[in-house]
Amino acid sequence: MADASVIVAQVIFGLIRGILLGCVFALIALGLNLVWGIAKVVNIAHGELVMLGAYGAYFLNLFLGFNPLLTAPIDAALGLAAGLGFYFAILHRELRGKEAITLQSEMVTLVATFGLSLAISNLANIAFTGNFVGIPFDAGSIEIGFLQIPLAGIYVAVLSVVIISLTHVLLNRTYLGNAIRAYSQDIPAAKLMGINPTAVAAIGTGLAFAVTMAGGAFLTTLFPTGINPYMGALYAPISYVIVVLGGPGRMWGSLVGGLTLGIVIDVGQIFLGVEIAYAVAFLLLIPVLLLRPEGILR
Amino acid sequence: MNFGRLLRSAPTLWGLAGFLVVLAVWGPWIPTFVLTLLINLLLFASLAYSMNFIAGLTGYVSFGHVVFMGTGAYAWGYVVGTFGWHPLAGIVAGAAVGLVLALGIGSVALRFRGVYFAIATLVTALAARNIILVIPALGDGQGIILNLGFEPLTWFYTIWVILGIQVGLTYWVTHGRIGYGLRAIKSDEDAAKALGVDAARLKLFVFAFSGLFAGAAGALNVWTLSGVFPEPAFDLLFSLQMLAMVIIGGMGTLLGPLLGAVAVYLPHNYFLTVAVGAEFIVIGILVTFFALVVPQGIVGALRRYVPTLRGIIE
Amino acid sequence: MTITIAAVEVHKRFGGVLALRDVSISVAEGQVVGLIGPNGSGKSTLLNVMAGVERPTAGRVVLDGKRVDGLPAHRIVERGVAKTHQIPRPFLGMTTEDNVTVAALYGSWKVRDAGAAREQARKVLNLIGLDGQADALAASLTVQTRKRLEFGRAIATGARILLLDEIFAGLSPDELREAIRLFTHVQEEIGFGALVVEHVMPAVLTISEHVVVIEEGRKIAAGTPSEVVRDPNVIEAYLGTEAARAAT
Repeated sequence: MADASVIVAQVIFGLIRGILLGCVFALIALGLNLVWGIAKVVNIAHGELVMLGAYGAYFLNLFLGFNPLLTAPIDAALGLAAGLGFYFAILHRELRGKEAITLQSEMVTLVATFGLSLAISNLANIAFTGNFVGIPFDAGSIEIGFLQIPLAGIYVAVLSVVIISLTHVLLNRTYLGNAIRAYSQDIPAAKLMGINPTAVAAIGTGLAFAVTMAGGAFLTTLFPTGINPYMGALYAPISYVIVVLGGPGRMWGSLVGGLTLGIVIDVGQIFLGVEIAYAVAFLLLIPVLLLRPEGILR
Repeated sequence: MNFGRLLRSAPTLWGLAGFLVVLAVWGPWIPTFVLTLLINLLLFASLAYSMNFIAGLTGYVSFGHVVFMGTGAYAWGYVVGTFGWHPLAGIVAGAAVGLVLALGIGSVALRFRGVYFAIATLVTALAARNIILVIPALGDGQGIILNLGFEPLTWFYTIWVILGIQVGLTYWVTHGRIGYGLRAIKSDEDAAKALGVDAARLKLFVFAFSGLFAGAAGALNVWTLSGVFPEPAFDLLFSLQMLAMVIIGGMGTLLGPLLGAVAVYLPHNYFLTVAVGAEFIVIGILVTFFALVVPQGIVGALRRYVPTLRGIIE
Repeated sequence: MTITIAAVEVHKRFGGVLALRDVSISVAEGQVVGLIGPNGSGKSTLLNVMAGVERPTAGRVVLDGKRVDGLPAHRIVERGVAKTHQIPRPFLGMTTEDNVTVAALYGSWKVRDAGAAREQARKVLNLIGLDGQADALAASLTVQTRKRLEFGRAIATGARILLLDEIFAGLSPDELREAIRLFTHVQEEIGFGALVVEHVMPAVLTISEHVVVIEEGRKIAAGTPSEVVRDPNVIEAYLGTEAARAAT
């Protein structure tokens, strides 16, 4: 039964790769989840942030020789600034003074960020050219039996989980976190507690962008030639599915959703091929929305 | 009802009708170069009216409308390529497939409100594209190549008819009982239900029209290209442009989709020779600007700021 | 033939919370029934169950002899029962008249023609004294006017029984007197039945011929207004706090 053992080996490898990929997916989706959960903004330009994070890593490596793992904090700092800018340039106009964020408001920011997404990806296409690029990075690999697992993948997966955990701690154990959670649940009540809604929403957005761009930097180590101006068109929908799976506003949910998607995609493609594996991953959203609109947790 | 009163009661409708009649009469004398531009403009307008049925009239923003275009295109390619149907019959097939798919997708996705509907339609379109890629009868991802003649005048009158029907239907559903129901749903769906509006049925009704016309337009689009290929047929940029046209022109209005089509098509054509892709930067910035500053679109803004136009354009 | 809507032994559970336990109530066309109880006692939930907005966890809703629980809200409206929202939900971008026209077109009148429905809407606006604001955008109306519009829309559906969620709340004494006068006038004119949910006691006691009291999802008393106010359970659960507040 040589065939069977080959398939088993493939599945194990797919599973490991899916878990590593899933951790990075989770980090990227966490960025979406934060803005979605805090400001009720579904950022359609989320994928473009991932793309900018990846290009940030690429250029830092190309011109300054940075290790892609070390580019993540720089990306995050850029993301923080971009998030604050984005909040005041785009969101503030719609969200300021609102006591509750209505469906109408959600649709306004959805459409506004959709326009941004279109502009940013095509601007990038002109600025960076449409060629696929990548960062040559090999951190070696470890061998477990017949399996070779690239260490870079393990590093970024672990770092992703660490960042997600830190975000969790930040949201649940700090004053800023409490303020953010209060704002996301009840704006008038948060105001009564002396919380400045604008500051909280802006910082939350900055945090979300920082996390997303760091995730974009991490991705470059998993996909050695996957950087392209339109890569966001893939990572945005993946993030939507992850957030819905885990439940908007639930930070651990992102991890569960990310791992689910990573495994479905990497194990699925062994049996179904890449196209159908992705189709299945995308369509997971539908039964979850129908049966468990609050997410699969609980 | 005498003619003058009819004219006054629906000036926008008659204005659009006049515009179409002028085009139809002029048709045979239009220089070929201009004609191909016009075909594309009318195709864009047709896609805009298709999107207007759902996003404009109910507020349900669909990011995946290209799925109806793409499947309509493949239906056309399949019946024309495999069964040798006349291309015009292929358009009907494309429309039928769009309609059936819209009923299927709509009966599930229309249960999701707001952003959830937008995301559900997006992932459906992405998944549909991936599935089409692996179907052997549909070219196994290689597409279907057909060598049909260059018939700009036939294409022109075909899209003309499709657009004419859409304009008429848009007028019909925005006036009278259905129009009241749709406006109520768009404003507050639960409150509408509490007054007896069967929101689910009404939404599905307009979504079906939306899918039907996107299917027909998708079929016509590939007829002009003489072949169906997965990447262009399912290019998400079509969905996004459909939405952009309706947002810029004015959601749910009668004239808006046409104005939006012009606003999106002009940069398209201009940048084609300057910098490919740059048109989307312009369109994207326009969309963001309109969403935040002029959410009622060109038509809504004109009605609001130019009082004399209030009774004329809709 | 008059119609009757009844909730029979209705239970409603939200997650771990039992919002309604074994509540029965009925309203017939032409009859005004008051439903009172402290905040959070389950009044609105009961209304939602009867209007088809929520499904009961157990028990049934019977309209005109047929079970209607599980039917969507719009089907209940078609059968002649309409509910108002506690916080009015007008279609903000539409005029007052258009708001009411929607109700006339889709309610139980079976008016299909927009012109006829507008005519109907104008009659209703006249009846509730909003004819002067027919062309005003709903977004420009005051909260009190919105409440009146909410009431007018429910009437315009052609409902023979209205489920009214706190239409008298938040009014000044003068406004309350005026609102009660209007309600009584319209009720006599049309002859609809109404289940009036309120925690403003005096209003309910004035207009209702029968009053049901619920507390923590349970029915604790029922009877004529004068019987109910003397009921020790009610005094304990409801009037006690109210009286205490009045005394201070």
